[in-house]
Amino acid sequence: MKKKWLSALLVTAMVTGLAAGCGNNGEEEPSEEGGKTLEVWLAPLDDDTEKNWGDLLGDWEKEHDCTVDITVIPWDKYQETYSTAMSSGEGPDVGYMYNEMILPYIESGAIVDMTDYITEEDEAEYKYLQNGYMMDGQYGWPLVTGVPFVLYYNVDILNELGEQPPETWDDFVRICEKATQDTDGDGEIDQYGYAVGMNTTDIGPTQILNAYYYSVLWQNGSNIYNDDMKSVRFADEAGTEAMTWMKDLTQYMNPDFMSYSWSDAFSTIFGEGKAAFGVNRSAQTDETTYAESYPDLNWDYVTSLKNVDYGTFGATDSLTLMSDADDPDLAMEFIKYVTGAEFMEQYHAKCPGAALTNSEPYVGDPKMERIYTEDTDKWHGIQVGPCGDEILTQLAADLQGIMTGELTVEEGLAEAEEYSNQLLDEYWADKE
Amino acid sequence: MKKKTGIKKIEPYLYITPITLILVLFVIGSVLISLTLAFTKYNIITPPVFRGIDNYTRILGDAKFLKALGNTLKLLVYIVPLQMVSGILMSVFLLATRKRLLGKIANCVIFIPFLCSNAVVGVVWRQLLNGKIPPVEWFFGLFGIEPSMLLGDSKTALITVAMVAIWKWMGYYSVIYLSGLMSIPTTCYEAARVDGAGKIRCFFSITLPMLKPTIILTLFLCVTTSLRNFELIFNLTGGGPNNATTDLVMYAYTLCFRTSASAGYAMAVSNVLFVVVLIIGLMQQRLLRRDASEL
Repeated sequence: MKKKWLSALLVTAMVTGLAAGCGNNGEEEPSEEGGKTLEVWLAPLDDDTEKNWGDLLGDWEKEHDCTVDITVIPWDKYQETYSTAMSSGEGPDVGYMYNEMILPYIESGAIVDMTDYITEEDEAEYKYLQNGYMMDGQYGWPLVTGVPFVLYYNVDILNELGEQPPETWDDFVRICEKATQDTDGDGEIDQYGYAVGMNTTDIGPTQILNAYYYSVLWQNGSNIYNDDMKSVRFADEAGTEAMTWMKDLTQYMNPDFMSYSWSDAFSTIFGEGKAAFGVNRSAQTDETTYAESYPDLNWDYVTSLKNVDYGTFGATDSLTLMSDADDPDLAMEFIKYVTGAEFMEQYHAKCPGAALTNSEPYVGDPKMERIYTEDTDKWHGIQVGPCGDEILTQLAADLQGIMTGELTVEEGLAEAEEYSNQLLDEYWADKE
Repeated sequence: MKKKTGIKKIEPYLYITPITLILVLFVIGSVLISLTLAFTKYNIITPPVFRGIDNYTRILGDAKFLKALGNTLKLLVYIVPLQMVSGILMSVFLLATRKRLLGKIANCVIFIPFLCSNAVVGVVWRQLLNGKIPPVEWFFGLFGIEPSMLLGDSKTALITVAMVAIWKWMGYYSVIYLSGLMSIPTTCYEAARVDGAGKIRCFFSITLPMLKPTIILTLFLCVTTSLRNFELIFNLTGGGPNNATTDLVMYAYTLCFRTSASAGYAMAVSNVLFVVVLIIGLMQQRLLRRDASEL
């Protein structure tokens, strides 16, 4: 009998535990100091974002009698975590979003237009505030910008070929052609013109657009959307020409380009000195880190090639004020503080990044400085438009199909265009 | 017959309450939610809007869905037979060499991949295939294969995913088969040998027929596991190139979490997968029942 009672007791305890585990009254826990708690969700901005930010926030927390609770969300679960949290009303007070993901949150009212919080001093101080202006409102407050994908080149290979750094598409093709060769005489190509990786396992499918496609599209004068955002533009004459040019480059690429992610291709092929060119997301510390990672590599970079125009992708990731924030004024003060010169100077000393304000000096390796001085007009973010995720995901798949030869340029672009325009038609029909 | 009273009456229900709650809340509940939301336009962030059967109509004309369905079925066809055969052969090898050093080592090593998560297996194999590692290059070179081309070619990427899945689960199925093999009485083999049967004849006339219940069990398990390759695909190919390795789960995931406005449609896709699994499950149940009665 005792055993039965014990079993029944255990079962009751388990059921209670299960029910308790599922329960949530939705109320926030008070902070340890008894003040407010500010929930901030960030992406992994460095090796230990939580600690690096936490260490610098002590004084601000004391001054505002609040605790900043930082949650770092891994990139591979980023969008998933945000959308599920929003649907269950458990989002943060301050979020961190990139352009491709932000539109549905604007449309659903999950994030707030910060226009009213912008002062004249802010306008004078913040260098990239306009990058957070979208859909007729200041929905993003740029936090990370200025890490564009740039074209790195192997100085030794170019010297051997008697070439100067490329400036135009013609230069680039000519050097790629000369660089693609069998250097050890075994009859097989072992040095490539262009190290490329189009496997989409690294971060997500749109990364291959960030790394390789936008630059080509923009350099040829096209774009993703038409200005009215009611249809896509990437399949127009300039877009088709850009894609054709890119497809033609496959003869100078490592033949296994579809197996590598863009970052693997850079480290494994370009980093090992087996290609004249490689694309990577630049960082202010590249000179230092590459000296450790690729000690034998003699490299330099071109921010952007030019055909019709310059252009390469530089993300603008922004802090967002969430509409569910318990204390929007406090959240806004936090946003301004962490993007301001005082915080950023200390943070960039630990983890170099582009200065967001005019008061903040450039911190980083001298070699990379020209991206933020001479070349600022050569890189920018993508257009924020309706159905962005769907359109870009489809475009990335069709780009793969074109590059592997499964689809012709015309077929691939037509498929992506048809799919995108259908989505946009539905979107605008819903709006009406 | 004595009538049960008090705690005795509710006791059995109490025992099954925890698992029932879990089942109702997280399994049946999820299915019901999915069935309901499939009739809506839903982006997870804003409330769903009822759209009737729009999502199911869209499925019929969605080339990507058909490709994903095709890939799911192809994976099933690639994985199940090879997994079954390789499991049997490996277990026979393990049994035959169990007293030798090689057999003992193999016995331990073969189960390790099963203990690793699919995500880890995916990342490790991607690095192995793309890492230009000389022993790996040499091994694949024996068959005239360039390993770094496997995941990037739409003709070979899905087969590569299937092979990695088979490698991952081989230890698990070998252990199941091994237990089946060990339960076959040695007297059967002794009698066969007396009658002049060789090893191959013994395998086909004794081992395989007596393994039939185990084979049916593994067939059922194998079909189920061959539909669960999401993490492998996610980490090996990301669904590419050009959706060549996107199965229905990957497609539904992409629709739901990588594109922001298609959660309702993703539910409809998931429901189709649910029906596919249900049909396969019911067919197997019938097979199991028939074979059990024959035994």
